[in-house]
Amino acid sequence: MTLQLMAVGCGTVFDQYYKCALKKLESRGIVRVVALVDPNPGRIAAIAKDFPSARAFTTPADAYALTTPDLTIIASPPNWHAEHAIAAFDAGSHVLCEKPMAASIDDAERMVAAARSARRVLAVGMTRRMYPCLAEARALLASGALGDDLSFVYREGGVYGWPVSTDFPFRRATAGGGVLIDKGTHVLDFLAALLGRPTAATYADDGYTDGVETNCQIGVEFPRASGTVQLSWSQPLVNGFHIAGSAGELTLHPWRLDAVRLRQNGGAWETRVSAATWPSDLRMGGKRGTPWTYEECVYYQIVQSLRAVVHGEQVPVTGEDGLAIVHAIDACYRQAKPLRLAWLSEAEQARADSHHWSRRQ
Amino acid sequence: MSGAIAVLGAGGFVGARLLEMSVLAGRTDIVPIVRAFRSVARVANLGMSHRLGDASQPESLERALAGCEVVVNLTTGDPADILRTTQNIYHAAVASGARLLIHLSSATVYGQVEQPGLADDAPPQLDHWMPYAREKGLAENFLRDRMAEGQITIVVLRPGLIWGPRSPWVIRPAVELVGGSAYLVGDGGGICNLIYVDNLIRSIDAVVAHPQPVSGFYNVADDETTTWREYYAALATGLGVDAATVHTVPADRYRTGLGGLAEELKKLPPYQWLKYRLSPETKSAIKLRLRLAFGRDRPAQTDGNASPDVTRDMWHLQTTRCPLPTSKFRATFGHRNPSSFASGLAASLAWLRFTGFDQNNLQDNHGRRGAP
Repeated sequence: MTLQLMAVGCGTVFDQYYKCALKKLESRGIVRVVALVDPNPGRIAAIAKDFPSARAFTTPADAYALTTPDLTIIASPPNWHAEHAIAAFDAGSHVLCEKPMAASIDDAERMVAAARSARRVLAVGMTRRMYPCLAEARALLASGALGDDLSFVYREGGVYGWPVSTDFPFRRATAGGGVLIDKGTHVLDFLAALLGRPTAATYADDGYTDGVETNCQIGVEFPRASGTVQLSWSQPLVNGFHIAGSAGELTLHPWRLDAVRLRQNGGAWETRVSAATWPSDLRMGGKRGTPWTYEECVYYQIVQSLRAVVHGEQVPVTGEDGLAIVHAIDACYRQAKPLRLAWLSEAEQARADSHHWSRRQ
Repeated sequence: MSGAIAVLGAGGFVGARLLEMSVLAGRTDIVPIVRAFRSVARVANLGMSHRLGDASQPESLERALAGCEVVVNLTTGDPADILRTTQNIYHAAVASGARLLIHLSSATVYGQVEQPGLADDAPPQLDHWMPYAREKGLAENFLRDRMAEGQITIVVLRPGLIWGPRSPWVIRPAVELVGGSAYLVGDGGGICNLIYVDNLIRSIDAVVAHPQPVSGFYNVADDETTTWREYYAALATGLGVDAATVHTVPADRYRTGLGGLAEELKKLPPYQWLKYRLSPETKSAIKLRLRLAFGRDRPAQTDGNASPDVTRDMWHLQTTRCPLPTSKFRATFGHRNPSSFASGLAASLAWLRFTGFDQNNLQDNHGRRGAP
């Protein structure tokens, strides 16, 4: 059985990640990309040559008038996600929506409600859920390998390098925020997968008047752990995740998707390579594989979404999971305070504090 | 926008701090110009309006510079592009009617500073082994010829090593000190011609503020003369590292080591070709497989016993004999550096701690890009 698939939004995310995975899925006869939707004909033309069966449309409505895909991948700008997802559900399609799920709680709730009402799958593209190291870390935490009193630090930052085609992600009016929405969505979801539903206890960032945050720090609490998340678009942070408890500690390194490092009871560090695998196709009992790269994670994530459509299996991240992260991010912004930046002079810090974006609310 | 100051290369390390200092000083006359929208991200917190301008495309530059009175060129990039982009920026600045072009060159155009009385307008060393130094020198010579034509005032600033928060000249020594691979050439008595990033930006401000700046070449540096031994000792103390763990390598001549070979490899055309064509994820996957193949999948050594990777650039920098003379700049622009070595060091160490740098924690990941 070959499933029909449509893509809404053919920009950089689709080009860099989804295109490669979908070409592989087409070559294996698992899907056929039947429609590409983007308001920019140039972007569609650049993508369409890789998908000869696909027809080009400038709006989802035009596409749904002529076809009903089994799955719609939504990779449009976040403030369009709700409209595009609801249109897909109305047309009878299931949805895999790229992160962040929505630009507001209201949008995210409408998406979840529409999926329920239409009895369709709403999967959220949190690709890191496919990291084998996450499965290993989850298993270790579930086994109590780290003991109690868990505390963690998660840092992720570097000079921004994503080849965006507009300044849309850097304006509060259009993006809603900065690095918290971009990287924070991934990081909070990753932590939620490990530790349960997050609660933002404290939040500080460096947004100045009309700017969006390029640095932020979140104090996060989970049912079993608490800790700090630090994110940056401008600073080369010492990236990684470190969690420690009464019986041990564990680290995840940004370049190592397949393994964790573990130390128990003050002993030596050891590398634990995950044996986790994911289905490579739609057959029950079919081939399984392990992703080595981010692109491969995207592939397995699409397969999981398709298996949810065909077999009713669980998707890695549901709409409800995505909504929880949107709530956590909203809670951060609601309590935003100025972040102390170590390199500023006292006068500079004072001005940054007095002109913090939260004071304009 | 009359009287505006265009900053080319606004997304870089110096440019980002210049914008930050300007905005936090309440200035509204700065126009950041970036080659691509992604460069906006680095200073997106400031909420400034950016203009797009690609120094490799003269027509886009002219549009970007419209209405600007001063053009500050902080662009960096592939050495092979330095001369061409400098020419384009000059022509666009003239065409847009700017009165002043400030061009950031580098003291590396001299090779090493070997004489105490080096003149600020001493010619660059065009046969330097380092392509960056050669190309910077060629760009200087182009501007030297244009100065004679007098269509626009051209001030070329020659800083030494720009240090401070976010500087590679802080990150690299810190990582090496904590990892135990830091080294000094000979007794470490070579001169480390530093300029703290805020001092450089204040130097630029001084040129902009001068009522009648004179075209020419000006060395800029910190007030203090610091040796490499003193610089590493200060960083080591701040990081809690025993300075006795710093290795010593012979000063008589440069010997190619693994680090030097890797550097040379990275300059080869096939490496450069691949670098810009592979996705970051593919690159990280290749690196991971190589690490696993060579059994190097562990965090960096933290016991202070790692071997030094001596590189040619660092060996040459550490054998610099004399401080960069800066009296011409001070006399011309009446400038005083606001930051001392001690205050710059304190800010740099505070910044390292902000990034999570800690000798016990994950230092091998500094600046390493995570997945998107």
